[in-house]
Amino acid sequence: MADHSAENNRLALKVVFYGPALSGKTTNLMQLHSLLNPQRKGELMVLETRDDRTLFFDMLPIGLKGDSGLDLRLKLYTVPGQVQHDSTRKAVLSRADAVVFVADSQTSQQDNNANAFGNLEENLEKVGLDIDTLPMAVQFNKRDLPGVVGDTELQQRWANTPWAPLQMASALNGKGVIETFRVLLDRLYTEVDREFALQSVHGIDRDTFIRQLSAASEESCA
Amino acid sequence: MRNFEDDPTLEDLLTRDQLQRLNRTLSALCQAPVEIGINRKPTSVALEFNLETVGWLSGGSSDQERLAAADLVSFLMMFVAKYRLAANLHHDTTEASYAELQKQNEALKASEARYRILSDQLQEKVEEQVAVIKQAQMDLYESARLRSVGQLAAGVAHEINNPIGFISSNLKVAGEYVNDLRAQLPQTEQNRELLDDFADLIGESSDGTRRIASIVSDLKTFSSIDQADYTQCDVNELLSSAVHLLQTEYGSDLEIIEKPVELPTISGHPSRLSQTFYNLLDNAAQAVRERRQEPGAESRAGRILVKTSVDNDVIQVVIQDNGCGIAENIREQVFDAFFTSRPVGAGTGLGLTVARDTVRAHRGTIQIDSREGTGTRVTLFLPVG
Ligand SMILES: Nc1nc2c(ncn2[C@@H]2O[C@H](COP(=O)(O)OP(=O)(O)OP(=O)(O)O)[C@@H](O)[C@H]2O)c(=O)[nH]1
Ligand SMILES: [Mg+2]
Repeated sequence: MADHSAENNRLALKVVFYGPALSGKTTNLMQLHSLLNPQRKGELMVLETRDDRTLFFDMLPIGLKGDSGLDLRLKLYTVPGQVQHDSTRKAVLSRADAVVFVADSQTSQQDNNANAFGNLEENLEKVGLDIDTLPMAVQFNKRDLPGVVGDTELQQRWANTPWAPLQMASALNGKGVIETFRVLLDRLYTEVDREFALQSVHGIDRDTFIRQLSAASEESCA
Repeated sequence: MRNFEDDPTLEDLLTRDQLQRLNRTLSALCQAPVEIGINRKPTSVALEFNLETVGWLSGGSSDQERLAAADLVSFLMMFVAKYRLAANLHHDTTEASYAELQKQNEALKASEARYRILSDQLQEKVEEQVAVIKQAQMDLYESARLRSVGQLAAGVAHEINNPIGFISSNLKVAGEYVNDLRAQLPQTEQNRELLDDFADLIGESSDGTRRIASIVSDLKTFSSIDQADYTQCDVNELLSSAVHLLQTEYGSDLEIIEKPVELPTISGHPSRLSQTFYNLLDNAAQAVRERRQEPGAESRAGRILVKTSVDNDVIQVVIQDNGCGIAENIREQVFDAFFTSRPVGAGTGLGLTVARDTVRAHRGTIQIDSREGTGTRVTLFLPVG
């Protein structure tokens, strides 16, 4: 849940990168850390890993200031994808304001994707969140690899879900990462604006919200 | 409750001792003393963690020194925070998992209790069904037995009644013929003796046929061919039929003493009651016979006492013998269906069980008192009305 403190004029939002093990969640976050140049950007915290696999979570805080002086923070988290870390996944997922689901495009990983998505639905319910109203973007990562499920086939499969169109990415090469993040910000803005009147009270419109938070290093920051 | 992800304060990250040590080391590195605190001072620099200002660093000799020191502190706090975050998360998830486990444990216990009740009930149900089946089996057996006894009795009564009828009427006519002959034959000593003898023979034969007719009538009562269902029963009458039948079977060796008192009738199943009385009398007769076969007991007279009484609207029927008695070790089992202490073939072993069931069907009870070597007393209590 968005953490709003009127007293400090602060709003903290939580975005969670979810998905099967080794799908590239941490890679997404690392790329965002190096590619993004938002108004404010904190340190990327990579907590314990074993053989490159997340044991707790990774976290990257970013933020912007609104005309009203609103101090808006976004904390981006990744969960550990391995099946056995379910309670950690659940703890990190709780109070999320938005989710990026990172799927692995490889044909061999389709079952893992489905299981992880099922697990996401289950855990959202357990922490009291509703998958139908939670802003979410779905990314199919590792498009650079051979033997991935075809683009059109995937888009067709997901066409009738609230998450179409899917985002295609190659996080390792920094491709599609910012695009995915922007799609998420767009969906997140709708919800946050409805609840906290970002535009009317704080002077943050949709475009500013997305641009300020996802400005790429080489793009100029407005 | 704070969540693992809540932004930590300076206090959360560093203890007072750690903070002092940090102040000392930084002061040693800088040209002027350095101090970290939560209050902003004119020349202080912000200590940032996760975009959050957690404290202020003041002192030092220059901005450059302060910025470098603040950067170092932030760098250190990063690692402290990582450790703290991981520890908090670990704590949170452990607690959540433990709570979950406890919930599952409770659920498991509840379902185990449910299954235990179910399984107990199952056991009870099975036992109930077994009892029902046993009872049905016994009823079937008993009714088949009763039916065959009834049919036999009906057949015998039918077959005997007719010949007895014409034998007795023939004997009567024959008696008259003897009288006719007496008038017509010459009055010699020899003839008179012959005719007297003849008349005696016919008289004894008539007695015999009367006795046969009475046995047939007892048999009819006993098997109650005429009444299949509950009717008003005269217990004394049923008892005495059974006694007569038994006497016929065992002969005059066996003394049966009947001591009836006048009884109200009870609603009952006459053939089942008769059968029960007969079975009990038969048991008594066999016990007596067994006793007499024991060495040194030949001279002892076998005796069965059959007594009725009524007390508080309950009829008591006592059948008491001075036979061998029931050994203590088997007394508990005497009501078990198919239990028999007799040699195989001598009885079905259903006698006492059937007796108990019959008495129960008449809302009564049965009581057995026995002493090995002395005798047995069976008392039936049958409520009136
Ligand atoms: N070829 C290719 N490899 C990728 C891509 N994205 C990530 N990887 C690799 O996949 C492996 C796993 O990536 P991570 O980002 O650690 O995966 P994760 O989802 O964080 O895994 P867990 O922490 O175990 O849940 C690493 O070796 C990455 O280099 C991609 O787009 N293409
Ligand atoms: Mg990871």
